[in-house]
Amino acid sequence: MGEPPRHSNTDDPEPRPDLRPPPAVPGWVKVSGIVALVLALLIAIVLLTGIGGPHGPARHEPSGDGAPSSAAGMHTVTGRVESPLAAGPTG
Amino acid sequence: MTLRRRVRKLILIVHLTVSVGWIGAVGAYIPFDITAATSQDSETLRTAYIAMALIASNVLVPLALATVSTGLVISLGTRWGLLQHYWVLISFLLTVAATVVLWLQTTGAISYFAAVATDPTTSAADVQTLGNTLGHSLGGTVVLLMILVLNVYKPSGLTRYGWRKQHEQRDPRTRTDAARSGR
Repeated sequence: MGEPPRHSNTDDPEPRPDLRPPPAVPGWVKVSGIVALVLALLIAIVLLTGIGGPHGPARHEPSGDGAPSSAAGMHTVTGRVESPLAAGPTG
Repeated sequence: MTLRRRVRKLILIVHLTVSVGWIGAVGAYIPFDITAATSQDSETLRTAYIAMALIASNVLVPLALATVSTGLVISLGTRWGLLQHYWVLISFLLTVAATVVLWLQTTGAISYFAAVATDPTTSAADVQTLGNTLGHSLGGTVVLLMILVLNVYKPSGLTRYGWRKQHEQRDPRTRTDAARSGR
């Protein structure tokens, strides 16, 4: 990783208080910001209006009785899942 | 505080390893997500959901957290800083956002899918209606690639804070009186 670019003014050898205004926000930052804002608004609209259906695990629950046909509705909050392959032989 | 060259290089190696590794791990995750979206076979779906959970919780989340932490260290420990250049700041914000979404997905939908899939009493129909996280995994990939592009190209652009910092370093007279009196 190289060093950050030096923004020195080679025509001005003596350092003196810089009275220039701070640099403007670069164009690519403005464009990126607008794109991000539009995406955020779209996501907010989808979430608030429910166009895409419920968001979160609830959207993946089976229809009908609204729950899997087992007591497996609990999911781990730590994100850790034990693989059934790790289970030892039964019996 | 600027890190010593050797320490900086070491942290950079770790940062590159975990951040690029994160992209690779998402590449391993997506085929299972596609399987979850397209397969109709309940046994295949169970396998896919379990694999998704294992990859997400054991690989993706640790890599994401390591990326954020090493990125913080390397930005604060070099002259780039965290807030001085737009590309660094935006990369950091995008990385944090991707990590948060990943964490929420892992502890939410992905964990739920796996819990249902590993339950032997769950019917095939229940497994088939679970769904997928393809939108998040593909969107996350796009975000990670954007961060990669920013980090390679490093587009120019100093924030106001960065501009002020660099001028203070170049011209001691622009420093505050409080700082000068400490010399």
